[in-house]
Amino acid sequence: MNGGKVTLGRTAGLYIGAAVLRLALFTVFPGLPDLLTGRVEISTPVTSFKRLQEGLFLYNHNVSPYDGGVYHQAPLFLPLFSLLPSSSSFPIFTYLLYIVVDLLSANALQKIADSGEAVSSALFTSPRREKRWSGLVIAAVYLFNPFTIATCLGRSTSVFTTCAVLHAIAKAISGAPISAMIALSFASYLSMYPLLLLPPLLLLSYDRQPALHTQKSLLAFTLKHISVVTGVLSTLFSMSYLITGSWEFLPSTYGVQLTLSDLTPNVGLWWYFFVEMFDSFRSFFLAVFWLHLSSYVGGLCVRIRTQPLVVLTLLLGIFAIFKPYPSIADMSLFLAMVPLYRHVFPLMRYTFVVAAVVMYATFLGPAFYHLWIYAGSGNANFFYAITLVWGLGLSLMVCDLTFAVLRDEWEVERPEMVGKEIRQI
Amino acid sequence: MRRVLSFFLLCFLSFCIPTFAADYHEQLVLRPLPLSALLASFNFRSNTSLSAFEAHNYRFFPRSLGQILQHAGTRELHLRFSLGRWDAESWGARPWDGAKEGGTGVELWAWLEAETEEEADHKWLTLTNALSGLFCASLNFIDGTRTTRPVMSFRPEGNHPSSNSTNMHLLYGVLPREVVCTENLTPFLKLLPCKGKAGIATLLDGHKLFDASWQSMAIDVRPVCVPGEECVLEIEQTIDMVLDIDRSLRPRDNPIPRPPPGHELKCDTSKPYHSDDTCYPAVYGANQDWTLAQIFGRPMQGICPLADPTVPPVCLHVPDSRSVYSSAGVREIKNKDGLSRCFEVEPAADLDVVLPRVESEGEAAPTLAESIVRPETPSLYAERSFTGYGQERGGVQTILRNPSPDKEVEFVYMESLPWFMRIYLHTLQARVDGPSTDQESLIDEVYYRPALDRARGTQLELRMRVPPASTVFLTYDFEKSILRYTEYPPDANRGFDVAAAVITILDDGKGGTGSASVSSDKHTSSNLRTTTLLLSLPTPDFSMPYNVIIFTSTAIALAFGGMFNILVRRFVAADEGPEVSLKRLKRGIQTKLGSLFSKFGKASIKKNE
Repeated sequence: MNGGKVTLGRTAGLYIGAAVLRLALFTVFPGLPDLLTGRVEISTPVTSFKRLQEGLFLYNHNVSPYDGGVYHQAPLFLPLFSLLPSSSSFPIFTYLLYIVVDLLSANALQKIADSGEAVSSALFTSPRREKRWSGLVIAAVYLFNPFTIATCLGRSTSVFTTCAVLHAIAKAISGAPISAMIALSFASYLSMYPLLLLPPLLLLSYDRQPALHTQKSLLAFTLKHISVVTGVLSTLFSMSYLITGSWEFLPSTYGVQLTLSDLTPNVGLWWYFFVEMFDSFRSFFLAVFWLHLSSYVGGLCVRIRTQPLVVLTLLLGIFAIFKPYPSIADMSLFLAMVPLYRHVFPLMRYTFVVAAVVMYATFLGPAFYHLWIYAGSGNANFFYAITLVWGLGLSLMVCDLTFAVLRDEWEVERPEMVGKEIRQI
Repeated sequence: MRRVLSFFLLCFLSFCIPTFAADYHEQLVLRPLPLSALLASFNFRSNTSLSAFEAHNYRFFPRSLGQILQHAGTRELHLRFSLGRWDAESWGARPWDGAKEGGTGVELWAWLEAETEEEADHKWLTLTNALSGLFCASLNFIDGTRTTRPVMSFRPEGNHPSSNSTNMHLLYGVLPREVVCTENLTPFLKLLPCKGKAGIATLLDGHKLFDASWQSMAIDVRPVCVPGEECVLEIEQTIDMVLDIDRSLRPRDNPIPRPPPGHELKCDTSKPYHSDDTCYPAVYGANQDWTLAQIFGRPMQGICPLADPTVPPVCLHVPDSRSVYSSAGVREIKNKDGLSRCFEVEPAADLDVVLPRVESEGEAAPTLAESIVRPETPSLYAERSFTGYGQERGGVQTILRNPSPDKEVEFVYMESLPWFMRIYLHTLQARVDGPSTDQESLIDEVYYRPALDRARGTQLELRMRVPPASTVFLTYDFEKSILRYTEYPPDANRGFDVAAAVITILDDGKGGTGSASVSSDKHTSSNLRTTTLLLSLPTPDFSMPYNVIIFTSTAIALAFGGMFNILVRRFVAADEGPEVSLKRLKRGIQTKLGSLFSKFGKASIKKNE
């Protein structure tokens, strides 16, 4: 009883601390939010707050924001932000909204961590399950991660997607598959790519069904919940249609992600590739890149069937690298999930290399971007090289985590191999 | 300038109406400007009756252009080729109130008759391609991204039957990067009835015209209807240029400027430090002596026999007090206002005009008023520039200054920007600096059509006002987008030209924004154009498409391969499973070879048996 109170007090303290830190940064450095909004690492064409403001301005002046090349975000943001007082005259309301969204994400993450799904799922229990961090620590790691704070200050709209994804996972774990599907539909509606998380999320919800009304057949379960997702998505689309008055928003929001017509630099690998791509091969490589991105889903779901949460984590990491418009917001979502696997950290082989590479790219990225864009003493290859390093570092991290998780699984069969040299054949 | 116009109109109305159906006249107006500049305005105008035009009867109207217009269903056409910058601070108001000038490069706007927008686009394509061939200009590059449909800025100058106004489509295209040169002048002169072989057109020489500080060639085709008479189609060709007299006087065989020897320097002797070895350059600019032949490189060779003889071919705007000499066979007519004079030429005579220096009495330099007619103050000054630095984002600032102490100026400000300049309209701000600081009512109406990537450019039209004696700063932010490497022009680091902003000053009382109202007066529009801007975009490395494809593919292959390896392969202890090493390979080969040898051995044994 007393322990529960202490935890509650600590949780409240953590959330208040995170909120105060963000508010302090917003108010003490009034130029910081706009500076971060302008950074290409934080704001991509599909998440930028400045573009959202432009879309909002056009929407409020009866010009269709989708009849232009600037606004590529979901239509439901428009009425949401129209309800808020203008961010230029009363920025505090916008700040508070973003802080609340961050705290909600942290809350969902805490629920995920406290459920212990990461160490012991329905089909698998890790031998290392004792060695894990509490939800409080994991929420703290998320809330005080510089990437998360920068994303919040930059007011990138990807925080809404992050929140929806985390809530979808939390709901699936807590045995509310319908809510999970609704949350995932919202995430997909906002950013499209979370739709690829549907298969592992279905598996996770299936595994964690409440005992009372368990549905035995996976197929029936899948069909039911896919229809839920379809229903929610079509509701959202028809609401968007009612708001904007036309279907123009579809090509302008999802079409841009599919065809990459806006080549603004970001931390991903797509933009420079498609700047330099020969016109005749553009569509082919777009198809290849999307196929590559979606190819991981099936493989991971099959191979790590016993731990759907691992699949979700790994997919989030892969999306952070290979999405069309990734930003450090995606990285922060992946880094939020990684500490759930504290128990396999000892099995990871390249922790130091990965940390070093990520730090290297984090610090050199802005510097090289400055050299290219402002100083003129470097060219586009400088920033491109850093995005390559970033991508390689992250993919090493994802691979390493996969390896660690699989080895953990394998050691259940071969308990005598703990701490021994192994190899793969 | 208004006086010239009124004079011109007067001539037009009083002399030309009897032969209105088909006539041609030409006139050159010379106007010395401060700072040793000379504005030369050439105007050629011919009419043809609409019935003759539709029956393919061309007399003065150029057949080549006429056929294009008929084919493309063009009701009114305006084409501009311009270079340089009009220095309004020293030269004052623009010739023709700016109605016959364009922004740097080529500008084209036309009213096309079409049922639908698609048909209008199709006709526009036909028109631009045909004109491109006719004028040797890259007009065919006016595609969807450079075409806009202005809503408030342009109005038809001609008289169109009101029944047509619903299916008339205004399209406006601009090519700011086009370099106007001699190859555009030659076809321009070919359209004239005298083909540049006689009359004032003989003065037009590419070397001089394109060496000018500012020049604008214009072609306007419009139907004109005078009540009670048959409608005529009027083509007006205009060339305005501001010549730097010093530069023009430079001998043709020695065009490289060299410092003049000491004894030729014109010094201001009134300075206290003036001595043999110290010279303060005298302000003599307004008081140059020149002749027509020196300025244009040759005298005017006769008059065009087709031109209306009642219109004097050359007029000169200098005060009557200044003496002007002309060659034999030329009659000087002084205008009543005392500020201009015209010259009538006998058909075969060459015309040359000599403008000697104003000899000042005593030491005092002649005042400006003695030597030239003071230019009119324009109703608005406009300047536009980029703000910010770096190749990621920037801003545009337009400074609009109203010099009048008591009159407000209302105008339409139009920008047509390329799509790769992503403007943020929510950052648009108008700030006023002046006696009245009434911030709210500056912008009355906004028409905005956002750019669509690779499909169309931004169109921004603002109806706004500048209070008297105030300056308005109009600013907005934009973002520079990075393009596909094939979309950059050669020499991508030079930058991209952004077309001039067009400012249409609305007259008092008529400042409505109603749809194209048919105005009976042709010269009501008063225009202003800012300079073009040079926008530098971030550039990729053009030399390494293959490298980028290879590097990125390698990174993806590494990630995918690593993942695939881990997912597909089985874990075993280091000492378990099949051995993968050189030793194993060696052993494998040995066993294979051994079995082979043993087979051979058995075979040989069998043979032996």
